[in-house]
Amino acid sequence: MSANTELQWKGYAVHDTKEWDQFKVVDFKPKQFEDKDVDIKIEYCGVCGSDIHTITGGWGDVHLPLITGHEITGHVVRVGPKVTEFKVGDRVGVGAQVGSCYDCKRCKGGSENYCHKAIHTYNSLYPDGTVSQGGYATAIRANEQFVFRIPDELPLEQASPMMCAGITVYSPLKTNGAGPGKSVGVIGIGGLGHFALQFAKALGSDRVVAFSHSENKKDDAFALGATDFVNTGDKNWVKDWSDTLDIILCTVDVSHHIPLSDIFATLKVHGRCIMVALPDDALPGINAFDMTTSGVLLGGSHIGSKAEVVEMLELAVKKGVKSYIQMLPMKEAGKAVQGVKSGKIRYRYVLKVDI
Amino acid sequence: MSSNTELQWKGYAVHDTKLWDEFKVTDFKPKGMEDKDVDIKIEYCGICGSDIHTITGGWGDIILPLIPGHEITGHVVRVGPKVTEFKVGDRVGVGAQVGSCYDCQRCKSGAENYCLKPIHSYNSVYPDGTVSQGGYATAIRLNELFVFPIPDALSLEQASPMLCAGITAYSPLRTNGAGPGKSVGVIGIGGIGHYGLQFAKAMKCDRVVAFSHSENKKADALALGATDFVNTGAKNWVEEWTDTLDIILCTVDVSHHIPLSDIFATLKVHGRCIMLALPDDALPPIQAFSMIASGVLLGGSHIGSKAEIVEMLDLAVREGVKSYIELLPMKEVGKAVQGMKAGKVRYRYVLKVDI
Repeated sequence: MSANTELQWKGYAVHDTKEWDQFKVVDFKPKQFEDKDVDIKIEYCGVCGSDIHTITGGWGDVHLPLITGHEITGHVVRVGPKVTEFKVGDRVGVGAQVGSCYDCKRCKGGSENYCHKAIHTYNSLYPDGTVSQGGYATAIRANEQFVFRIPDELPLEQASPMMCAGITVYSPLKTNGAGPGKSVGVIGIGGLGHFALQFAKALGSDRVVAFSHSENKKDDAFALGATDFVNTGDKNWVKDWSDTLDIILCTVDVSHHIPLSDIFATLKVHGRCIMVALPDDALPGINAFDMTTSGVLLGGSHIGSKAEVVEMLELAVKKGVKSYIQMLPMKEAGKAVQGVKSGKIRYRYVLKVDI
Repeated sequence: MSSNTELQWKGYAVHDTKLWDEFKVTDFKPKGMEDKDVDIKIEYCGICGSDIHTITGGWGDIILPLIPGHEITGHVVRVGPKVTEFKVGDRVGVGAQVGSCYDCQRCKSGAENYCLKPIHSYNSVYPDGTVSQGGYATAIRLNELFVFPIPDALSLEQASPMLCAGITAYSPLRTNGAGPGKSVGVIGIGGIGHYGLQFAKAMKCDRVVAFSHSENKKADALALGATDFVNTGAKNWVEEWTDTLDIILCTVDVSHHIPLSDIFATLKVHGRCIMLALPDDALPPIQAFSMIASGVLLGGSHIGSKAEIVEMLDLAVREGVKSYIELLPMKEVGKAVQGMKAGKVRYRYVLKVDI
């Protein structure tokens, strides 16, 4: 396979976590090309909450300089000799993971997103010592297992945020049985939340209840498919919503917003709350008694498997799921990350490659 | 229905939470007899960890003087005019709940143990203002919904601890799909734990793994049906048991024993840990990240429904589940609660009524 001499490897990198909104274009060296790798010329990359948690140092130390971004779409420009799923020119996406061990029970059983040796799209170390660099860049190289075909009906910029935010909510909805007969709650209407409402509806859930801490997003919530909207700033909301929900996706930081005990109170017997928010700090202490009242569960979830991503994209096309995005040229990455940190964005920035 | 003039209403009560091992025989007034009530002459009562948490004030203020005890067996001596399940002379048991609202969706659908207006067997207030008094006593009166027939093949003293400890372990095993193909972990080999092992085995789980903080209970664990025993005092046990379990029943106080993150590490993808221990303090703070590594869930559970209890007792008879008890005359209750608090009992005290 001839090397694509036109493909450049450079991106907008943060050099200092204290100046996390200052990006400088830097060259980087991708991982060594292996037989199942795919090179992708990036066109768009969404800005995910994870990017902010990472570049601010909130999630711990970062390999600097670092190019973040894991809601990537573009075109295939090179495939390794053992690649079977893709050819040059295919429209593809990459999410928050670019590698795994390929060998464990989880990888072989369709749960590669739970491999213990996951390589994340940025700030991860490959076995050869390369630091993975993300999608605020011209190109990415990834094992085909972690590359997803984008349906023709879906524009690349629409598909980008689905690569992380979308799948992060789709997977737990599916795993926990969202659908006819079920009532789903979504706490927080943002990048994750706006997809959660739509997918809960697309899966046929009886009730889709949006929880937000003010009235601001009420209209959007209904437009996104909510059957009900709850302003958690109101008194008595907990009582009104007691014992109503089978599944809750929590996308907010519960140390600062709704206490977990209030969330648990809305659940039906054996209902579950899946915590998809990943704050910097630990969750506030839970009293075991809070969980016994209705025998509820609190769970975690990590993106989704390839099969789930494919299923999600099909459902998105079939049911008209829309990404509410604001497109910016990639050089405005600094402005975008500020907007995400302050919660201003409605509901995802997508950066268009301009280098 | 004639009142049984021989039935006395008195029991061993705590009068001061600072003197929680000092019991005085005290008369008490049961709730007013209602149409669906059953009066039971108590023969045995098991001592549950809940009794200790309560009488020490660990779970908060209590209404004094208080007679604890909610692992009760005896004979029916009187039935109200609308009682349909029982007649005088029946061998019966009562667990940790004696009333509910009977009217909500949970009560009507077989989840009365999750009614939001439960009356617990002791320290609860009935609508008429009566404080419920427990089973370290001569008698108890309650609604037939919360009275369970004891199979003839099961002695009353064997059945007693199953009415709280037994069902507390059985219900989550059932709810979470314990059975062929599944691997179950039980952390802590005590009152609840010794049933957890036996029921997991009785339900034909592939693997039943006992976790204890020393070697002391190894022989017992294997005799109780464990396929494996793990000493959590040993190095590397977490690594060895990573990704092995579908369901864990945790009966220990995780602030003082195994960290939750270690427990989560043993779970398979989407495995769950059901926290049956109800310590006085909040659980230690959980990092959302520790749950995403395998998409696991942490859950609670509250005793079991009548249907589950009946099923459990039936299974216990069929599969030879044994209560490991130490029988004491009820006047030695002070010694028993001390032994319980010190973790000495192997694995349940059962008090025989002597007043």
